[in-house]
Parts: sequence; C-alpha cells; structure tokens
Amino acid sequence: MKQRPGPWLLLVALMFLLTGCGERPGGLRFAVGGAPHEAAFWQVLVEEFRAETGIDVRLDRQPTDTDLRRQELVFALQARQSDPDLFLLDGAWLAQFAAADWLMPLDPEEMEADAFFERVIAMADTYEGALVALPVYVDGGVLYYREDLLAAHQIDGPPETWSELIEIGARVQAGQRARDPHFYAYVWQGAQYEGLVCNFLEIAASAGGGIRFEEGDVEIDTPANRRALSLMVDLIHRHEISPPNVYTEMKEEESRLFFQNGRALFERNWPYAWARHRAADSPVRDQVRIAKLPHFAGGRSASTLGGWHIGVSRFSDHPEEARRFVRYAVSRAVQKRLAIELGWNPGRTDIYGDPDVRAANPHFAVLADIFAQAVARPTVPYYPIASKALQRHLSAALSGRLTVAEALRGSQEAVEEIAATYAEP
Amino acid sequence: MRRRPRARAGWQPGLRPWWFLLPLLLLIALFILLPVLGTFGTSFHEDTAFRGRSFNGLANYLHALRDAGFWQSLTFTLLFVLVSVPLELILGLGFALLLDRALPWRPLLRVCLLIPWAIPAAISARTWELIYNYQYGLANYILRSLGLIDAPINWLGSDVSAFFCVVIPDVWRTAPFAAIIFLAGLQAIPRQLYAQARVDGAHFLQVFWRITLPLLRPVLIVALLFRTIDALRVFDPIYVITGGGPGGATTSLSLFAYDYFASGDFGYGACISMWLFVIALVLALIYVRAARFAAEAT
Repeated sequence: MKQRPGPWLLLVALMFLLTGCGERPGGLRFAVGGAPHEAAFWQVLVEEFRAETGIDVRLDRQPTDTDLRRQELVFALQARQSDPDLFLLDGAWLAQFAAADWLMPLDPEEMEADAFFERVIAMADTYEGALVALPVYVDGGVLYYREDLLAAHQIDGPPETWSELIEIGARVQAGQRARDPHFYAYVWQGAQYEGLVCNFLEIAASAGGGIRFEEGDVEIDTPANRRALSLMVDLIHRHEISPPNVYTEMKEEESRLFFQNGRALFERNWPYAWARHRAADSPVRDQVRIAKLPHFAGGRSASTLGGWHIGVSRFSDHPEEARRFVRYAVSRAVQKRLAIELGWNPGRTDIYGDPDVRAANPHFAVLADIFAQAVARPTVPYYPIASKALQRHLSAALSGRLTVAEALRGSQEAVEEIAATYAEP
Repeated sequence: MRRRPRARAGWQPGLRPWWFLLPLLLLIALFILLPVLGTFGTSFHEDTAFRGRSFNGLANYLHALRDAGFWQSLTFTLLFVLVSVPLELILGLGFALLLDRALPWRPLLRVCLLIPWAIPAAISARTWELIYNYQYGLANYILRSLGLIDAPINWLGSDVSAFFCVVIPDVWRTAPFAAIIFLAGLQAIPRQLYAQARVDGAHFLQVFWRITLPLLRPVLIVALLFRTIDALRVFDPIYVITGGGPGGATTSLSLFAYDYFASGDFGYGACISMWLFVIALVLALIYVRAARFAAEAT
C-alpha cells in the first residue's frame, strides 16, 4: 500500500512554522544607519563586543533618511515589539520617544555622563530630569571655505560676521564670474525640510534670537529672528550671493557637491562633509578649510546641534545586556576609534584633546569649540509637528510669497496653536 | 434526437460560488475594509506617539477647518485635479484616436505609449526632478543651448511654476492609461457607422462629435472617475520633486496627512485621510449620477 505523504508534510511544515515564529535568535538587535561605511564600522564593534562579553548583537540596517528611520522605529515601538533592543536616535525626535515612555532611563554614573558635552546631555539627552540616551556622535553647523580663493583676493581669513561674509562673498564672486558664470559665494540648506529649520536656528542664535515653545510660551516672532530671516532672504534675492535653488533643491548633499565642484566660496554644512571634501577625488581637496559660522555684529557664533544618540527600548527583553552595550558604544576606546576611523565627532569631550585623534583630525580643535556652543532644537515631544509648520512659513519667506514679518507672525500663530493642542493639559 | 443538457438549465448556484469568492472577499476585507475602518475610528481619537490614544469626538475634524495648512493643501489638491485630469484625458483621447487608425508600426507605437505608465511613479518623478534641476537639468540645458535664456530658470522657485512642475510628470505618466481605456472604447464602435457617415459626406469633425464622442461616453466617465480619484491622492511626484514646497505651495492632502503620520500624530493624519475619502466619494457619486442621467437621456 502506498503511503500518502500529505498529512506528514503538513505536520512538518507546521512545525517549521511554529518554531520559526516562536523562537527568536538570542541576543540583542541594534538599529543603525544604513550607510555602508557606518554599518561596516558597527559590524566590527559588534564582533569585538561578542568576543569580550559573549553577548550577541545583530545589526538592523535602517534607511539613511532621518524621517524614514524615525517611522520604522515608531511603528516597532508603537506595537511594543521587543526588537530592536537598541537604536540610534536623532536629537530632533528624542523628546517624542521619551515622552511616549519608549526609552529606558540610564544611570548617569554608570554611563559616565560627566565625560560628555554638558550642553548636549542637558539639552538633548535628559528628559524631565532623567537621562534617557547618550550622544554617540554630535553634529553642528560649520563653515567651509576656500583658502586659495580668499588668498587670491588678499583676504586673510574667513569672515567673522555676516556682513563680512556678504562683503567678501560679493567681491570674490564678481572676480570668479569671469571664469565660471555660475559661481556663487555661499551655499547652505534652504529646501523645505528639517535642515531649513537648523540653518535658521543658528543664524537666529547668532543674532541673539532663537525659538522657544515650552509650556505654552511661544517665542518665534521676535526682532532678532526677523533679522535672521531677512539675512537668509537677502543672501538669495538682494545680494544674490547664494544661488536661487538654495530654497528649492538644496539639502546637505546638493550644497556639498556644489562646493566640492569648485563653484562656491563658502558652504554651511555638517562636519560629515569634511571627509568628503578632503577625499582623494575631491577637486577642492587641498583648498578647503573649516571655521565657525559667522555671527551678527554684537552676537556670537552658534551651531544647531545635530547628531545621533543611543537609547535602549523600554520593551527590550534583554535590558541588562542592552545597557552593557550602550556603555561599550560610548566608552572612551570606542569613541576614539569612531573619531579616527570614521572621522565622526564623538559625544565625549575627552576625545578631542587626544594626541592620536588630533593627528588624524586636525580640524577637531575647531569642532570642540563649536559643539560646546551648540544650540538645540526645542525638546518638546510635538517638535516634529511644529517643525513642519515652521518649514512651510520659512520656505514661503525664501520664495517671496510671504514677507519676513508675515512669515514669522504666521509661524508664531501656527506654533501657538500646535502648542495649545499638544502641550500637557 | 439529442437531448438538451438539463443540468445547465436547472442549475441552482446555491452557496457554491461564494466559496470560490471567499478568498478574494477575505483579502478585500483584510487589506481594504479593515484599514479604512481603522482609519475611520482613529480619526475620532486623539492618537499621538507621545500622549497615547483617547476619544475626542469631532475635535480633529473641527481643527482641520481652522487649520491654514489644511486649507492650503486642500486648495492645491483640488486645483491639481482640475488641471491635470482634463489634460490627461484630452491627451489620452488624442493618442487613442491616433492608435485606432491603421498606422504602420502600430504594435510598436502602442508599446512606446505604455512605457511611461509602466515606470514606477517615484522613479519617473526622480527623472523629472533631474530635468528641472537648476544647475545641470535638461530643461535649462536645452533652453540655454538654443540661446533662449541667459541665466538658468529656477523651475521649482515660484508657486505657479512649481505647480506645473508636478502636474507635468503626472500627465506624462497617466495619459497613456487614459489612452488604453479610450482605445478599448473606440474599438467597440461599429465600423459601419463610420462607413455610413462617409457615404453621407460627413466631415471628420462631425463624425467625431456625432458618433465617436457620444458612443465613447460610458468609457469617458470611467476614465474620468479613475483619474479623478487617483489625482486626488497624488503623492509620489510631489514627495520626490518639491517635497511640498516652496512654502507649502505644492503640498497635497496625501502629503499633508503623511507629514502628520510621520511626525507622530496619527489621529489628525487619519482625519485628513477621511476628508480625502469623503471628497473622493462625493465626486464619485456625482460622476455616477451624471453617467446615469446621460444614459437615460440617450
């Protein structure tokens, strides 16, 4: 008699299905950025961590786009999934995650919180008095400039103030136009997205302004902020030293390429651009220098704080191991390697003076200063929503549909409404 | 004498067809009905990533009415439909009339026509983005090579030109879809009608107005309905090309809702989606009613 294989096959398939679903490979899951060199770096660390502690960590590669990364994490955490156990967070949405109670509090002493930039820990990583994350690497706006072009025009250093930037920029641009009719003095990030708010914030802070919307106390439509936004509009439309597509197309990579192709004198960007500008295939490799961003007369330079923080999920089923990995990831040894191997800027201050690090990254001397002066975006959980409204109004001022005064009054009203809707009752 | 197959005449379907339909119905329920109902439910809640979920009745809907951003994107979306759908249908009809003739290379032409429709929307939007690019875009390159402009044009810089920069990719991509529907309609028109018209000495415009267009009306309504609903939901070209800018001038309702979902307010995002759903439903009902009137009139 022939045997019927049907029921047996079904049973075996079911068993595979059940074991496949029920059992998760042991160890931690860590969500990191998907850029190839970043993932490769973490892969090495994760293997060393396993060799040292016997704890398995698996990497989940995320998209490079910040918004997409947040979405992935929000969906996982909203569903109270136990993986990822650990993730990297953008400072802009840290508060939202903390308010949702998705982050496990960390012990400042165990994590050596004193070793990090004090302002960063205070402004970004602390929520309602509790330490909820640690800065793995920090970011802030910096000014890149072409030393050769300044020298050719007998200018001895980068501009200190915005009016110097405009004056020098106009001169060099006029001189360069004969060779390149599309040369512009200054490129930055003005497209309608989060980067626009970052650019605005540091210019505002350099005029003594800034934005605040904590506890129903909204402060956007101020004289200093009007000065800052006017400057941004004037750079494009009045002085014409920034290209018109600053407010339509320029995000980080667009401005980096513009500068790197030798078509601009100054560029505002994050520190990541340094390594690309200095790469072997970069046409401005030997001419590029780095400096603090300019400020208004009587003000002081400011940089918007960016960067990525490491946090532990509230729903992790291995919290002890996860905390151990955090400690490892922000340890002095690992942070030093981050600086030397990736050229990224550690969250720990004690790395910047290290001789090996200085030898590999001479520009760290400038950066340590910049990060110590960084300004943070408001740490309210509804910041991402308020930011969208700000982006719309700032962009309308840059495109000329709204005047500077209208745009800031509109931002003020919109954010007041948002704050009233979402602030704690 | 052969007997007529009795089984067929006396066949009682009973429940059997439903069994065959069941998998499909389950799929529809699972992937369309449930999410729509879920969104409907969420729209009556305050539901944020940071404060949790609680019932708040019509608060989201009332908030939308006072929200300048909502009105801006509603206006843009309706304008987008009003401009892009007629363009798509007129172009589609033109293509269909061309392809209906016995042209040489007809199969090849048909394939060419369908290429834009076959390319994923996000990818074709990326291509258009490169065409519009200020520095190295094709549009500025051509105009400059022809000596028509001295300085490049910032295509995405003003509200009006940014509007057309997102309309054009949508028309380019979907006119072929309209063409295919129209072509099917055209090929169903009896050829004798044309022959008779020719015998009567009718001008080709008369033929078009008196024969082609009236007989194409049912197909036209279908194409209009599909394209309107699809255009209302426009997302890809905007997300890729303008990101909703400048100053929110090209933010469609879908993008507006998406921004709220992505920023952590699911309740308000769901409410915007429901507005979109209601608008689409009302327009669909109007079209269907109009089609019925038209059918009764003839």
